[in-house]
Parts: sequence; structure tokens; C-alpha cells
Amino acid sequence: MAFFEEIASAVIAGDPAKSQELVRKALDGGAKPLDIVDQGLMAGMNVVGERFKRCDMFVPEVLMAAKAMNMGLDLVKPHLDSASRAGTGTVVIGTVKGDLHDIGKNLVAMLLESKGLNVVNLGVDVSAETFVNAVKQHSPQIVGMSALLTTTMLVMKDVIDALKEANLRDSVKVMIGGAPVTQDFATEIGADGYAPDAVTATDLAKGLLG
Amino acid sequence: MRGARVRRETMRSNYRVNATTQFKVLSCDQLSEIQSATMEVLERTGVNIFDKEALELFRKAGAKVDRNRVRIPSHLVEWALKSAPSRVVLCDRNGSRRLFLEGHNSYFGPGPTNNFTIDVFTGERRKVRKEDNRRTGILVDALPNIDFAMDLGTPSDVTATLADIHAFEALLSNTTKPITAWGFDVSGYQTIIDMCVAVAGSLEDLRQNPFVCLYSEPSSPLQHSEEAISKLLFMAGQGLPAVYTPCVMAGGTAPATMAGTLVIANSECMVGVVASQLKREGAPVIVGGVVTIMDMGSTVFSYGAPELSLLQAGLTELAHYNGLPVFGTAGCTDSKGLDQQAAIEGALSIMMAAESGANLIHDVGYSEYGSTGSQLQMVMANDIIGYVKRVIRGIRVDQNALAVNVIEAVGPGGHFLAEPHTLAHFRTETTNLDLVDRRRYDDWKARGELSMGDRVRERARQILETHKPKPLEKEARSKIDQIIQDAENRVGK
Repeated sequence: MAFFEEIASAVIAGDPAKSQELVRKALDGGAKPLDIVDQGLMAGMNVVGERFKRCDMFVPEVLMAAKAMNMGLDLVKPHLDSASRAGTGTVVIGTVKGDLHDIGKNLVAMLLESKGLNVVNLGVDVSAETFVNAVKQHSPQIVGMSALLTTTMLVMKDVIDALKEANLRDSVKVMIGGAPVTQDFATEIGADGYAPDAVTATDLAKGLLG
Repeated sequence: MRGARVRRETMRSNYRVNATTQFKVLSCDQLSEIQSATMEVLERTGVNIFDKEALELFRKAGAKVDRNRVRIPSHLVEWALKSAPSRVVLCDRNGSRRLFLEGHNSYFGPGPTNNFTIDVFTGERRKVRKEDNRRTGILVDALPNIDFAMDLGTPSDVTATLADIHAFEALLSNTTKPITAWGFDVSGYQTIIDMCVAVAGSLEDLRQNPFVCLYSEPSSPLQHSEEAISKLLFMAGQGLPAVYTPCVMAGGTAPATMAGTLVIANSECMVGVVASQLKREGAPVIVGGVVTIMDMGSTVFSYGAPELSLLQAGLTELAHYNGLPVFGTAGCTDSKGLDQQAAIEGALSIMMAAESGANLIHDVGYSEYGSTGSQLQMVMANDIIGYVKRVIRGIRVDQNALAVNVIEAVGPGGHFLAEPHTLAHFRTETTNLDLVDRRRYDDWKARGELSMGDRVRERARQILETHKPKPLEKEARSKIDQIIQDAENRVGK
């Protein structure tokens, strides 16, 4: 439907006001909330992801698109039934203890939200205990950890150990990222996945959700 | 609102802006001193000229002529510098004005007449074929940072005495960008101009919007062959832009000192300027050349030496001082292939040429001290020029660029990635290079761990396989084919 394409275009253009206006119109016109998300907002965001990979779009443009997507999503959310809301999944994310870097982690959070995921952002300098408590409280499918320093990346293993101790490790997938982190390191500490950048991280999260 | 402040326009005086980076090798006093030494050499030592018409022109103008030795009074040089235009505009094949050879504007293109090429598809170093000139035309046409064409090799698979016009025809047929070219002699020049007239419509139209300039070279030190100066006079007579380009070797055909080498190169340029102005007042002439060292180990004429870049910058500043458009040299290397040395020498010379503001900068793609014309070196240089363009553009400083309000809005610990200010400026403030790789390691590895050289080869092949230059108009096409055929027939007789 042409109307959904317009919503997708507003997302691709990174125009939050236009995105909200069109979503509101669609809702008033009786469009199905889930269709607005899938065929409009999400369809636009998928194009953005592809363009980013081809180097046709860059991070600031992706973020504006994500903003347009999220503003639209805010209007649709109340209209979604609980079943379709539950299906989207929850991610608990944070930068590990001793590390104050959060741009990369916030980028991942924003893009995960733009994929319709429910993101619980724990911020920076997050202890293993805080991660464990958040898992208990929010029952996420995924725990995401970030570190920029070679020293703090070692804390990621402490968090995984703490999840094991609390018998929560098997209930979540763990994904990690940050400048010094590699796939080898992820394998070594027993994480389920590693992504080198925010766009890849959203693909990874969707993959982990199955 | 806390911290909010409307910035009123502040009255301010004596504020200066560097709209670009700043670079200077020689001071005004030094330039004046080199120019005086040049005029002293021309007046005292003089030069050898081997063309009858030129000798007659110099004699009539008051130069002291003893057989071939011509001693030129300083006033004649000063008159010619006033008469020669300070700017030459080169057009594209469609007549649109493109290259403004004036002030510190810089444009880049390949070089001419190499014996060998490196085949983009096979990697083989071999003699140049006409197909290579076509490929050079296609690459020049497609590469955004290459502004004009030269042949990058004399074809060996055509009638030997017509190699010049075949190389030119291959370029003319495969790019709309301006062409700088070389011919064996005046008759080759005439044939090339005939082809250009076939495109432009008439000689007058070509003169009004020239898309070609032809070059010739004196023989250092201080000798001007009949071939070199007759070609220059031919172009001046037609009112078409000519490049007069000495190739001087410090330590060999000039003193080992940089200043002494500049005096020789500048003297030769001045002879070209005076001769062209005596032939036709106001004739467009572009000076410059290839000024470098003789490598005292190998005796090669070095295309990668730091002294080449330094001397080129000095000669450029002299031309600016004299108010003449400059033919520069950069993007070249002594290396035999596309290796680290090629990248270092190519990059630094391009940076130096651009910083000094040479106008028509040639020899991009010269490798093996000029013996091999490398299209790969040129494709790599396209990225280097993109890099240099950004540096030259400098740092814009104004209220908007200082972004104090944006910094206030984001505050400590925040980020600027999602700010409208970032969105508005990141594409113009930063440059995206074509082949430079900044991918993350895993991504780079997944794509086959390509080196810069690998990516250059890939891009060159891709352009040659996909780029379709705008063909010549039918009428011009058939006229040009006829011109080539006539030339072949003349040789055949």
C-alpha cells in the first residue's frame, strides 16, 4: 500500500515529524497497527540498514532514521495487542564496571529499539550484580555488554560467571561489543555473539532471537 | 533559560581568515632575486635557438643574435611578461569552461609519451598499444579527481610517425575532459588541431573555448630546438594555448643547487614566453615543467625525489610571481610497480603541488622514472587527490562551525551523533575516499583481505569494463576518421 511506503520514506529520510504525522493518519484511517510497523516503519529501517552497509548512508543519518522510526513506533505501541508486543523481545544492555564509554552502546540501544525490541539501558559502569538483578527483573532474551578498554573488557567474563552462579545463564543469550572486543574473545569467555558495529549488532540480536 | 544567550553580531576589526591551508617555499625577495638572476643569464650568457623564424623574431625585437646564440635584454622579458595572459581557461569537449588555470587553482591529469605500460588486466609491463590510450581516456573520463587527459604512453602498434595523432584520437574519442597533448612536429600539431576543429566547428570556436593545449620542451641547459620552438610558435600563431615545459636535472643539466636549477628552468620558460609573445601578442602560454635531480647513483631523471616536489613548488611560485599559468608535475614515482614507494612518492608530490598551487598538474601515473605510464598509479592517485583536496580546503571558522550552542546542548558525556548540526555538516566537513579502507578488521577479512593495490586493480578493471564515455557526434566522428585516413595515406605514399 502506497501509504506504508510513505511512512517508510519518512523513516529513510530521517524525518521524525513526518513519520509521526503519517503514522497518526494511518491509525485514524483504520490501518492495522502491526502493518504500520511491519510494512511502514520497519520496512524503512530495513532499507536504511542495507544502505548503511553499502556506505550510501552514514551513522548520523541512520540515527535520524532510527529516531523517525521510534517516534512513529511510540504512537503505534498503545494500539498493539499484548501478543504482538511480547513477540518483539527484550534486551538488557550496559557498559561494564569501570568503563564510562557509552556512545557505542547507546548506538546499539537506539538501533535495537528501531528494530522494535524493548531495550533496558543500564548505562555505564554497570556491575555484574546490577546485570544479574536486571535479568531477574526484566526477563530479557538477550544481555548486551560493551567495553572500550582492554582492561574493562575482562569484566564481561565476570558478568557471565555471575549469570551462571545465579542460574540465569541458560535463560539469556549474551552478546558483546566494543573497540578491543573480537570474535575470539567472545568465544573464549563463552558469549553467544559478538558484533563489530551497531548495525551488525542489530542483525546479531535478531539472529539470536531466532 | 539557563545559559541561553543570543549572540549579537560583534563589531570586530583586523580579523583575517585562512580560507585554505598556507604554504610558501620562497619569499618575495627570494623570488625577485631568482627572477633577476634569470634575466642576467638571458642577457649575459644567452641561449641557443635553432629555428629560423624564432631567430628572426628575436633579432627584430632587439635581442643580440650571433648565429644561434641569442642574448635577450631584460626589458624584452619584462614586456613579454606583461603581454602574456595571466590566465588560460580550458574547456571540455562540449565547450563548457572547466579548468581555470589562474591564481592557485590546481587540476590534475596524467602524463605523456611513455614507452611502457603496466597492463591493468594482466599486470604485465609491455610496450604501449593504442588500446592503452583508449583505456587511459576511459579512466580519465570516469575518475572524478582527474581533471584532464594526457596519453600516458606512445602507441607502438600504429604507424610509427603517426603515433602522436593516434594517441590523441584515442583520448578525444574516450573522454570529454580537456586534453594536453604532444606531437612530433608542426605537421602532427596541425593534424591534432584539425581533429579539434572537427569537434569545435571552427578554429575561431576552438580559440574561444579551447579543450586542448599542446606542449613542447626545450633541451636543457638553455637550448631550444627547431622542433620545440616551431611548435610553440605554431600554437601562438593559432592563438591556442601552448605549454612550454623544460625538463631540468639538478647536477646534470643545471647546477646541483636548487636555486641554480630554478634559474635554468625559469630561463627556458622565459624564452618560451618571449617567443610566443613576439609571434602573437597575448598568445596564451603556460610555463612550468619537470624540474628535479639527476640521481647520482643510477643517473636517472628522478620522478620521485623530494627535490622534484621542492623544485616544482619553487618554479610554481616563480610563475605566480610572474603572473603566468603553471604546468606542474606530481603523482609520479621512480618505483617500478604499485608498491609502497609508489604510494609515498605519488602522495607527497601531489600534496606539495596542490599546496603550492600549480595549475595544470601533469604526470599523475608516471612510474619507473617516467618510462612506464601506469594507469594503476593514476587510479590510486585519484584517492590521494581526494585526500589532498580536503586538506587544502582548511578549517572553516565561524559561529556555526564553532558550534558552541550545540556543545552546550549536548554537554559533558553526551554524544553528537544524533544532533541535527552533525547531520547538516558531516558530509561536507569530511571526505569519503573511494579506495581507502577503514572497515573493521573482521569485515575487511571477510571481503578477502584486499590491500590498497588489490583495490586499485579492482577499481581500474571495473571502470574499464563498465564506464561508457560520451561518444563523439556522428559528423565529428566521420571527419576525424577521415583526417586519420588522410594522414595514413600521406605516409603511405
